[in-house]
Amino acid sequence: MVTLPDAPDSKSPATSSDEATGPGRVWRATGGTGRRLRALTRKEFVQLRRDRRTVLLMIGMPLVLLLIFGYGIRLSVNGIGAELVGHDSSFVRQALTQHDRFKVTSGIAPTESAARDDLLHGRVSVAVMVGPSGLPTSVLVDGSDAFVAQNSLEYLRSLVASPGANPVRTNVLYNPTLRSADFMVPAEVGMIMLWVGTVATAIGVVREREQGTLEQLMMTPIRKIELMIGKILPYSVLTLLDAVLITTLGLWLFRVPMRGNPFELLLFAVPYLIAALSIGLLVSTVAQNQRQAMQTAAFILLPQVLLSGAMFPLAAIPWGIRWVSQLLPLTYFTPISRGVFLKGLGFADLWPQVAVLSAMAVIFTGLAAIFFKSRLD
Amino acid sequence: MDFEIEARGLVKRFRGAMALDGVDIAVASGEICGVLGADGAGKTTLLRCIAGLYRPDAGAVRPGRAGRDRVGFSPQGFHMYEDLTVAENVQFFGSVYGLDRATLQQRADELLEFAGLSQFRSRLAGQLSGGMQQKLTLACSVLHRPPILLLDEPTTGVDPLSRREFWQLIEALRADGSTILMASAYFDEVERCEKVVFLHEGRVLAAGTVDDLAPAGASLEAAFRERMALASSGTPNGDLG
Repeated sequence: MVTLPDAPDSKSPATSSDEATGPGRVWRATGGTGRRLRALTRKEFVQLRRDRRTVLLMIGMPLVLLLIFGYGIRLSVNGIGAELVGHDSSFVRQALTQHDRFKVTSGIAPTESAARDDLLHGRVSVAVMVGPSGLPTSVLVDGSDAFVAQNSLEYLRSLVASPGANPVRTNVLYNPTLRSADFMVPAEVGMIMLWVGTVATAIGVVREREQGTLEQLMMTPIRKIELMIGKILPYSVLTLLDAVLITTLGLWLFRVPMRGNPFELLLFAVPYLIAALSIGLLVSTVAQNQRQAMQTAAFILLPQVLLSGAMFPLAAIPWGIRWVSQLLPLTYFTPISRGVFLKGLGFADLWPQVAVLSAMAVIFTGLAAIFFKSRLD
Repeated sequence: MDFEIEARGLVKRFRGAMALDGVDIAVASGEICGVLGADGAGKTTLLRCIAGLYRPDAGAVRPGRAGRDRVGFSPQGFHMYEDLTVAENVQFFGSVYGLDRATLQQRADELLEFAGLSQFRSRLAGQLSGGMQQKLTLACSVLHRPPILLLDEPTTGVDPLSRREFWQLIEALRADGSTILMASAYFDEVERCEKVVFLHEGRVLAAGTVDDLAPAGASLEAAFRERMALASSGTPNGDLG
């Protein structure tokens, strides 16, 4: 068997289209890339219009997430269950119930062991021993919920501070009441864009593969890069619409301040968006069907949400894992979004993040171009 | 002689499994050639290699990827956009092939009329019958008037009446000078072809005109079965069942 080199196409003298055989056979392109991109984009929008499920996924889900994040997620805990042990004390009661931080049971636990039993069975999270003088002597905190325990300790510090010490004046800037919504909504803009951009793009490509239309597209003059842009373009529009929607609702529903220029934020979002959509393209190169695409996207998105500083502070992430954070686009978009929303920052302050995101956009698009195939095998 | 469609020593493996094992075929300009084979014989792989959708492991093909502008490819099954209407599908593929508005309009009218799809223009492609879907696929793949047509089991799962209509389309394209390579599992269909290739387990068992392969009134089917039996007994690990 004769084995020819790995370029069979070049072996057969490829007759170009102008050398067509016979009259009426000449195929002529009247438009190039622009025309094909228009056709691809238009097709995508027509399909989206008819695909209610995807539209729901892309508009409805961000709304639900906004409500959950805006209303549901509280980074401070109030109403922690507490009880007094040994002696009753209106002074301690008053100190605890200040700002509704603790909810103190009406009765008191007679002994420490009784209090321990209450903690064990989750009846209360905090038990404050009160001496005969009516002053607190020591405190038991249920550490099994680290979040509640930490908040409790923070609140209790003021209670057990030595009476003689000078109180330190603190001033919280940018989000003086430390509202969770102010903190969460700007981060959520980034999370939603990432989710919608990645998932929609990945599914958009994988659906074509599943339905076999990708095979048809490969036989047309559409080039690989055109196919990629033909997917990125329509979904960028959709993702940006989502960003605007979330921002508007955040401002209106949760009264989140917008101290910077929202259009600047939109501009900064563009490289972020391209990075997110390229991740979607990359997902589509490994996923064979829509289910796999969703799973792969979830696998990529979850660590982003957890490790990017959007929900938990970057400083809380141990060094061994911190480098992962540095590779995630959301890590750079979150400070941009919070900066514009809460601090009124602009390009002069945020350019390092914008630069990193731009570099990521280039790298991810490049990777997608490498892994995106223009053949079936 | 110059061949429009050609494969020489074509080898294609999938994860070590041999799909095509040194296939040679040649179809001259204006000819229609039928590739006959059972499921799994390698028909689809052969067509995809020739279309340039697969990279051959060895051997050469024509037209291949470089010549895809001159190829109309109709894959097995229905692979148009089911959520687009007939007209939108035609519009999309026409635009992608670079036809200007007037030409596209004219060819779409012609082809849809001829395929009997004119009154279904605004129907979603996914809601067409199997026969209509195949005709739509063919119509979309010849919008740019390619001189070469590769058809992969275009009438599988299509009712007999629609099949006849479909063949009228093919005959018209042939009369227009197209070179056609068609994979099929139907003997009666392949009998209409000028040239026939028997494909079995990735190898060409025989090739020639219908008269060459099934001389003196013998049926093509009988000839094919005979060759298959011969091929199976010839190999030590042949199918004994």
